[in-house]
Amino acid sequence: MTGQLREQVTAKSPGPAAKPVKADARIWLSRTLSLLSVLVFLGVWMMATESGWVAPVFLPSLRTVLSEASKLVSSGELWGAVLISSQRVFIGFALAAIVAIPLGILMGVWWPAKAIVGPFVSLLRPLPSITWIPLTMLWLGIGESQKVAIVFMGSWLYILLATVEATKQVDPLLVRAARNLGAGDLAIMREVILPGSLPGIIAGLKITLAIAWSCVLSAEMVAAQSGLGALIWQAKDWGNLALVLVGMICISITVLLADRLANIIERALLPWQRGGRH
Amino acid sequence: MLDTAGSKPPILSAHDVTRTFSFGRGVGVVAVDRLSLEVEEGEFVCLLGASGCGKTTMLNMFAGFIQPSSGEVRLRGRPITGIEPRCGMIFQSYALFPWKTVRGNVEFGLKMQGMGRRERHDRAQRYIDLVKLRGFEDHYPSELSGGMQQRVTFARMLAADPEVLLMDEPFAALDAMTRQVMQEELLRIHEASGKTIVFITHSIDEALILANRIVVMSSRPGRVKAVLKNSLPSPRHVTVQLSAEYARLKSEIWALVESEVRSHDEASRDLGAGATQA
Repeated sequence: MTGQLREQVTAKSPGPAAKPVKADARIWLSRTLSLLSVLVFLGVWMMATESGWVAPVFLPSLRTVLSEASKLVSSGELWGAVLISSQRVFIGFALAAIVAIPLGILMGVWWPAKAIVGPFVSLLRPLPSITWIPLTMLWLGIGESQKVAIVFMGSWLYILLATVEATKQVDPLLVRAARNLGAGDLAIMREVILPGSLPGIIAGLKITLAIAWSCVLSAEMVAAQSGLGALIWQAKDWGNLALVLVGMICISITVLLADRLANIIERALLPWQRGGRH
Repeated sequence: MLDTAGSKPPILSAHDVTRTFSFGRGVGVVAVDRLSLEVEEGEFVCLLGASGCGKTTMLNMFAGFIQPSSGEVRLRGRPITGIEPRCGMIFQSYALFPWKTVRGNVEFGLKMQGMGRRERHDRAQRYIDLVKLRGFEDHYPSELSGGMQQRVTFARMLAADPEVLLMDEPFAALDAMTRQVMQEELLRIHEASGKTIVFITHSIDEALILANRIVVMSSRPGRVKAVLKNSLPSPRHVTVQLSAEYARLKSEIWALVESEVRSHDEASRDLGAGATQA
């Protein structure tokens, strides 16, 4: 059925040859417009701070921010902060995925598992991960494991819910076909349910990755000596607003890059979704 | 009209099979009613009937996907009580694993049988060649046309080497020309492999081109109305449709089916709802 649909689409495409050109122009126009909007924003910022409309205590000038950034880069402090925060996110997130994906698949295919874990999911779900900060500090101190724990607590539930939902999307006909070809329960899980729910799981992981970053940052702001969260919190204490802004921009860029990386990994893991008929 | 079977016991049989489906309280539909049928080894049998006559239900019972409410289905004299890999099912909607390549799909049944990598590869290649898909081994199903996808399901099923092939309107989703080509190839495959095939269709033409024996079913509840031996010469070619014998058989079958289709149509109208064929 999908084959037929695609055939119709390909049959149509050679028709209006002018269309791709138009779409191309639209893309360029839209990019120019985006660039312009950023430049206007920076211009207004510069004007407001350089002319003295806004006091530097409230908003530092673009120049100070840039020089603060170059200082941070050249001292190596920035990379250190990015690296340590990324490491905390990575470990906490990976642990959460390792626990939540198999558990989610089990819950999706075996109802007793859902009945057992369900109440805890309902209770834990409304709790923001920052509410775990006092307890985790009590249990784990303020070292690395506490940061990792906050990331873990903030992400495993979302990964679990996404996985359970994804297993429901697997076509039951494929399970039937696999059984008809001699697959047992374990093979069904490994060969059908897991790959069939992988697109949904990965989509869930990508959303959760951004959440994991917000977890590590809040944990670092409350109690940490290192990391991007600690960097901007300490800068606030010193009254260095330019450094706060540099930290924020840096967080934004890091999370964006992490998302890009996740996209690349997604495409590598889901080669069958790369495109239709050629 | 039932032709007397030879001395060999039937490979596949239904004995007084009834299957009802219940929809909530007390509302039930008898999909198949006291149906008995015997299929000889190597035979190509078509179950022919209007939609809603229980032919898919019957096929699902042969595959072991569902169980009879009463009566018994048997494979080589043994009751079928669970999903039966020796009765391989070809689905109308292909049911290919979208995350596996053509080769991965064809190898699936062999992998489930525990066959080694090397042997699996060679055997899969043989059947990929048989269905004329050489060169497409590394393509994903979404990259193939409907006809090619259905060929993959044939190769997947034949490679797994079941004793009986069950086919649920496998060509219904294809365009008329592709269907004709696929019918000829199925005849060729049947000729070459000698496999027993039970094929469901609502097309008299398709039944006449393919089958050795045609089981005409009545609707609501599904029963065997007549069994006809297909006297057309075999090996068959689609040009058989031009013969006088073909026209005679077609009108004979149509006479049997016509009242069914009309009464079924009226019944559907009376019910106010469409056919809920399970």
